Amino acid sequence: MKKCLSMIFFSLLVLSLAACSESQSANGDTGNGKTTLHVAALESGYGGDMWTKIADAYEAANENVTVELTVEKNLEELIRPNMQAGEYPDVLLLATGRPEGLTETLIKEDGMEKITDVLDMDVYGEDMTVNNKLLEGFSDTLATNPYADGETYLAPMFYSPTGLFYNAGLFEEKGWEVPKTWGDMWALGEKAAKEGISLFTYPTTGYFDTMVGSMLYASGGTDFFNSAMTYEDGVWETEEATKVLETIKKLADYTHPNTVANANPNDFTKNQQLVLDNEALFMPNGTWVVGEMKEAPKADNFEWGMMSLPSFEKGGDRYAFTFFEQMWIPSASENKQAAKEFITYMYTDEAASIFLESGAVQPIKGITEEMEGDNLLYYNIYEEDGVLPAMGTFASTAPVPGVSIGDTLYGSIDSVISGEISVEEWRKQIEEASDQLRPAMN
Amino acid sequence: MSKKKSRNLFIGVCVAPALILLILFMVIPTIEVFRMSLYQWGGFSNNQQFVGFNNFKLLWNDMDFIRSFQNSILLIVIVAIFTFVIAVFFAAILSKEKIRGSNFFRVIFYIPNILSIVVIAGIFSAIYDPSNGLLNSIFHLLSLETLQQKWLGNQTIVIYSVAGALVWQAIGYYMVMYMSSMASIPASYYEAASLEGASKMKQFTGITLPLIWNNIRTTLTFFIISTINLSFLLVKAMTGGGPDGSSEVFLFYMYDQAYTNSTYGYGMAIGVVVFIFSFALAAIVNFITKRDVLEY
Repeated sequence: MKKCLSMIFFSLLVLSLAACSESQSANGDTGNGKTTLHVAALESGYGGDMWTKIADAYEAANENVTVELTVEKNLEELIRPNMQAGEYPDVLLLATGRPEGLTETLIKEDGMEKITDVLDMDVYGEDMTVNNKLLEGFSDTLATNPYADGETYLAPMFYSPTGLFYNAGLFEEKGWEVPKTWGDMWALGEKAAKEGISLFTYPTTGYFDTMVGSMLYASGGTDFFNSAMTYEDGVWETEEATKVLETIKKLADYTHPNTVANANPNDFTKNQQLVLDNEALFMPNGTWVVGEMKEAPKADNFEWGMMSLPSFEKGGDRYAFTFFEQMWIPSASENKQAAKEFITYMYTDEAASIFLESGAVQPIKGITEEMEGDNLLYYNIYEEDGVLPAMGTFASTAPVPGVSIGDTLYGSIDSVISGEISVEEWRKQIEEASDQLRPAMN
Repeated sequence: MSKKKSRNLFIGVCVAPALILLILFMVIPTIEVFRMSLYQWGGFSNNQQFVGFNNFKLLWNDMDFIRSFQNSILLIVIVAIFTFVIAVFFAAILSKEKIRGSNFFRVIFYIPNILSIVVIAGIFSAIYDPSNGLLNSIFHLLSLETLQQKWLGNQTIVIYSVAGALVWQAIGYYMVMYMSSMASIPASYYEAASLEGASKMKQFTGITLPLIWNNIRTTLTFFIISTINLSFLLVKAMTGGGPDGSSEVFLFYMYDQAYTNSTYGYGMAIGVVVFIFSFALAAIVNFITKRDVLEY
């Protein structure tokens, strides 16, 4: 009897296990000598169509490769379980700074393939190396070389300048001048307050990553920015950092009162709407906001404008932070060479023009000449006097339980704006988080 | 094969699929959670490092975790009390009083329960909107401007706003549960009581409550489980834990640590604490509400 029972038990167990292990032979060469390249890309504001076109174009250009696409808005949720089960895509377009933090996890876990050699490879089908075609400065920041060791792990893709967005129509109507320094900014804040308009709002605190970055650059320059990003001891107690933190604290007095209540994933568009309705003047944002708010009702004679962050002194440097997405190869990929070739294809004129059709701009030389209309206006921000590009992000560390520099530096801004914590407490928290992360740097 | 043997075999075959599924999808993952909580691991790589109880030691000093734990307990208590009182109250009225359109009310009360939690987040973000939300508009209409609040922006209020949405969505479900057990109480008890001169209130405390006691005990456990789960979903969809983490609940913090912060082992340690806490709480509640079951 017992034997009988256990036999049934085992046969059922085997059956159920067999059902789990059916899809083993997904990757690698297919029968006819073609390589199947699994590309996973985030469907962002640019839409998913361009990826289908890219896949078709690449298959036409490279006969040895079939591209298998996964393009989703919730890409992380889709690929994470597969990755944990050992099935990795060969190439991913998934930037850092996403709420799910999948890219950061791979960086922290040393799960990325080094692609320094890709920079010296020729762009697919063209006789120019990737490095020569890339805009300067894009391949030597912490966003592409996360371990600050000179090795590149992430390829820069779709860049977009960020800054303070405003209604240019309103400025024209009121005869106001766009402020150049923080001093002008406060003066404008007083003027606007008399008309019942707030100077400032922000979608969520996450949008401060680019704004604080620009401010750190403006107050202390590149070296100072890098020492903050590499958690140098006492950096947040310096005069330069204090200037930045105090400025944000001062912005609290000029921030639209509804901002904090709407600064959550559900309602952040209500904050963006404040600018469209002329209830607030400026918000930190990126060029994607134009598409995001396309259907939203706008005030009469509304016209998008973007400016770089004001300088701290008259004639001082102004910075516009450049946000870009990244493409990378997981070290568990089975077709690394094919994946690297695919990345070089991303910088071809052909690919760049497919991307550009959907509004996605590759960081390659001469791309601004292909642009027209609004886009040109934004990408020309660096042509303004004294406006410099800023790039980079916090250096990667081994995971530290309960400590997140992003939550501490940016997340706390909600509390600073609503007056729950003082600049002093804020600084202390940042310094503490910095202290805990420093020894964990790879 | 004897009759008894074949009977046992039949039972075995019938039970085996469920048992296998239970072991495969419940028991093994749970053991895995306990095991992983002893490791330092980011979630993908092969370098899992055994750290013993270090994750739990860190938890003890993590003020963000303690805040999220407090928020969860607060939610469980508030949501359970308010849902219970309101649901029993309406259940008693709808099942014992002759009200016109009582079926209509029953449907209305139940509707929130059918809605997905994301829809509820959308509805309540409209209700709590600071400038033209339902709640602030009503206060404005009644000239009670002093009561207007930034429901999702004020760090001391936001957790109660979350509780409000959770109570709203839970009432209908529990009301229907209480109604069904109230309906099975024989009407003759109430007739006898009213002949003796017992007031409605007396009838409620003397007859209704004791006779649905077993049902209430079951729902208390439900309150604990569903509040823990739904508060995570609602906070994720509605407030994102904000402002500045003030509406985080422990499952949210666990998710945040296990995925966003790449500390999977630490997240699992939080999972273990949540697991033990909810088990213990349910057991305690079950124990202290134990009464002899009344037969009728």
